Amino acid sequence: MSKRTINLDMTECENREMRLGTIIAWDGSASELIEQSDYDSRSQHKGSGGCPGNGSKACKLCELNSPMNQQTMCTNAIVECQAGNLTDCILIQHSPIGCSADNAHFNLAFKKGLKKRHKPVQNLQIYNTNLLENDMVFGASEKLRRTIREVMERHHPKAIFVSMACATAIIGEDIDSICDELEPEVGVPVIPLHCEGFRSKHWSTGFDIAQHGVLRQIVRRENIHRQPDLINIIALWGTDYFTEILKPLGLRVNYMIDTASYDELAQASEAVATATFCHTLGSYMATALEEHFGVPQIDAPQPYGVAGTDAWLRAIGKIVGKEAETETYIQSEHERIFPKLQELRKKLHGVKGFVMTGSSYAHSLISVLRELEIEVDGSVVFHHDPVYDGGHENSNTLKTLVDSYGDIPYFTVSKTQPYQLNALFKRVHTDFVIIRHQGLAPEAAKLGIPSLAMGDEHYPVGYDGIIRTGETLLDILSRKKFNQVLSRHAKSPYNDWWRSQTDPFLLAHQPEILNERVNLNKKRKGK
Amino acid sequence: MAKKTKKHGAITHPHFGCTVGGAYSVVAIKGAVPISNCGPGCMYKQYFHLSFLNGFQGSTGAGGGNIPSANVGENDIVFGGAKKLDALIQSTLALYSGDLFVVLTGCSGELVGDDVGSVVRKYQEAGYPVVAAETGGFKGTNLNGHEIVVKAVIDQYVGEKPDTPKKKGLLNLWFETPYFNTNWRGDYLELVRILKASGFQVNVLFGPQSGGAKEWKKIPEAQFNLVVSPWVGVGIAEHLKEKYNQPYLHIPVIPIGEEATTAFIRQVVEFSGIDNKKAEKFIKEEAELYYYFLDSFADFFSEYWFGLPSRFSVVGDSATNLAYSKFLADQIGLVPVKQIITDNPPERFREAITEQFRNLSEGVSVEPEYLEDGYLVEQSLDTAEFGQSVPLILGSTWEGDVAKRKNALLIEIAAPSSEKVVINSSYIGYRGGLRLLEDIYTASVAGN
Repeated sequence: MSKRTINLDMTECENREMRLGTIIAWDGSASELIEQSDYDSRSQHKGSGGCPGNGSKACKLCELNSPMNQQTMCTNAIVECQAGNLTDCILIQHSPIGCSADNAHFNLAFKKGLKKRHKPVQNLQIYNTNLLENDMVFGASEKLRRTIREVMERHHPKAIFVSMACATAIIGEDIDSICDELEPEVGVPVIPLHCEGFRSKHWSTGFDIAQHGVLRQIVRRENIHRQPDLINIIALWGTDYFTEILKPLGLRVNYMIDTASYDELAQASEAVATATFCHTLGSYMATALEEHFGVPQIDAPQPYGVAGTDAWLRAIGKIVGKEAETETYIQSEHERIFPKLQELRKKLHGVKGFVMTGSSYAHSLISVLRELEIEVDGSVVFHHDPVYDGGHENSNTLKTLVDSYGDIPYFTVSKTQPYQLNALFKRVHTDFVIIRHQGLAPEAAKLGIPSLAMGDEHYPVGYDGIIRTGETLLDILSRKKFNQVLSRHAKSPYNDWWRSQTDPFLLAHQPEILNERVNLNKKRKGK
Repeated sequence: MAKKTKKHGAITHPHFGCTVGGAYSVVAIKGAVPISNCGPGCMYKQYFHLSFLNGFQGSTGAGGGNIPSANVGENDIVFGGAKKLDALIQSTLALYSGDLFVVLTGCSGELVGDDVGSVVRKYQEAGYPVVAAETGGFKGTNLNGHEIVVKAVIDQYVGEKPDTPKKKGLLNLWFETPYFNTNWRGDYLELVRILKASGFQVNVLFGPQSGGAKEWKKIPEAQFNLVVSPWVGVGIAEHLKEKYNQPYLHIPVIPIGEEATTAFIRQVVEFSGIDNKKAEKFIKEEAELYYYFLDSFADFFSEYWFGLPSRFSVVGDSATNLAYSKFLADQIGLVPVKQIITDNPPERFREAITEQFRNLSEGVSVEPEYLEDGYLVEQSLDTAEFGQSVPLILGSTWEGDVAKRKNALLIEIAAPSSEKVVINSSYIGYRGGLRLLEDIYTASVAGN
């Protein structure tokens, strides 16, 4: 690709909604969403605000707008779980202390991740400038300078990241200048990350922001020694299944960003290719590596289910020039898993499932479920990107899903909104949910539905991932006993009126109904 | 003299959330709904510190993922967020079954200067029980947030009732900080059990026995406020004294074990002037049970061949640290070697807290350190002398690395905690003290 769609000149990375036309609320069938997304046109016109720009169809991907919203994640939290989860670099959160309140959460993920990647287990080191009221009035730049110096003196990290928060963005902290100013003094990259929580309507922009910083200031640009057996896998903390999957093709895996070291990030430009377990997470970095460093990204659907894994391996085999070996490998893998897969299909046939996760990851999970002959009539994705960075023809994961396994009649785009679950599960019956991200599973639990918390995101990857997922689901289904007890006794925080509704987006479709329910002109009796 | 702390430096490995964490004090009131007028990630972040990575407590009612949130975005920063908040409040009132709604404004709303008061007033005037609390994260810790939220509910919901007749024997309980103190639910159950059995009626206010918004309305009827904590809640009691002419009794050390709990009961009974017959009968029963078990525990404690920890350190908030240090030093005879207070208590309380540590027991005195930066906490623990036996550290998940370096036994007793699942456990009062011993010594004998 000669055209550069990703701009690494600026310290700020363009928001996902501007680059890709990302939406966070939509309701319909998967096939309708594919049509409205118009991936192919958009991939030709990226960088024009996400509009497909083909005249009549421009901006057709309309978004629902609800007055009711519930807590979600933010870009600042995502950056924390990326730049703050490196083994020898340190993130400074330039903010009041609350922005670091979830450090312990990502610490647990980090420690589990280190273990899975066979690295020494240690606590993460994220610093917080701990801003108080006076800093809001008089500015906090001096505190940031002091913290950068202190972090250097205490830990000698190989790079220091500085992340912006709502408060520091509003008071106008100039982290770019401070990072520039201190970089020569401390002698390692000091990397500004513009991830204030209010910045993007979806937290996944935070992945792009962290990757942007790594690409600008860590990935090696000079003295590049190509490593023809090295493949970048953009991942989170998942188990190292990719090594066993890619070893037969003679490849070593370079995982980024979580649990990586500075040197592992720096060598990304020397790899033979880049792939990811999830385009939502990886397409920004993979595209930038392709456009700016000449490392091609794998143009394939994600490696889930039989069809997806086949196609993914073939695309890699092509890049590394091992097409014949790949075919043999695929063939033997099919034969190896087939008996077990058949056995699981028998046990799971007719079971109903529902996925509630990040966008393209959900597409893949549904593929795995359908491969197991589990019926999936509805799912929730936390956002939808009508196109991915790079816009590669074969990366349209939602289309791959529907083409390979059929439509999903109730396909909902919604950011972790548990108040909608009651209506969602009236529309679509399910025996379990698969979730990532906090907040939904506990409400599903009260409705009698057990959850598989897919904390190890690599679990369903590849051929063995289908088997692993199927076997685990059998265990999860048996937990239904717990959920039935719970549903008989637990109280919902929502009132009878709301629980009697069947449209999860009622408030977006009929906002005027609120004035009937809550009338400010009529004084309430007895108050 | 207590060690002077460094002036608000940077922090790694934080032991508290920020003021908007006060949302979880709302969640702790049955039937109350917090409304977060914050950025999208604020409640998420607080949840992980206060609830999930804190004994995986979970939450009920409108907590966790259910918290309504304005998810303040760029447009709201530029053009103001009042309209969006208005629609959010209206939607929340329409959807939730709640009888008290508390709007918590975070950094963004406060810095941009949204007129939250006038949005909320509209609902108040129409008779809806909506309260506004100014909890910008830069105002301090979640403990400050707890006090801000409580005062907002008292001022805007309970209201002006200076002449309410006081009911003898009815007390308002101001105790551990909901969610933040890992065992708070079990501890509330135990303390309320003790107070009720001693003849008191209790406005419990938070937790499994909270009487909800209705109970909050009864706050002015109480004979007095009982603050059981080194500092959190004292500001609330002072406010109530001013507002409702209610006296308060401040007991800084949460009682653990028979002797302390019995003394606690007698002190509260004497302060209130209620008849002590019921209390004395209860004390007798509980003491008998307690020593029945302690007697049996003595077999193990005296005869275990393979070594037990002797010297201990506590890293935690003032309330937890003081209570556990006192019990272990005064009742069990463990030796405190390093007590690090992590919740940044206001200056005006520090001398009194330090003095408590200097008098943990006869002949047992320790100088506590006040540190909020985890790096300094770990550095300080690194230098602690634990003698010949296994070092015992009661702390949070952050002390894991230093515990490993020192081959210490780490028992998680404070947030954040990731190696413990807490459903209903208590380390205080008559029953909890024994449970604390069980957990410490189970860990001591495990791993063969």
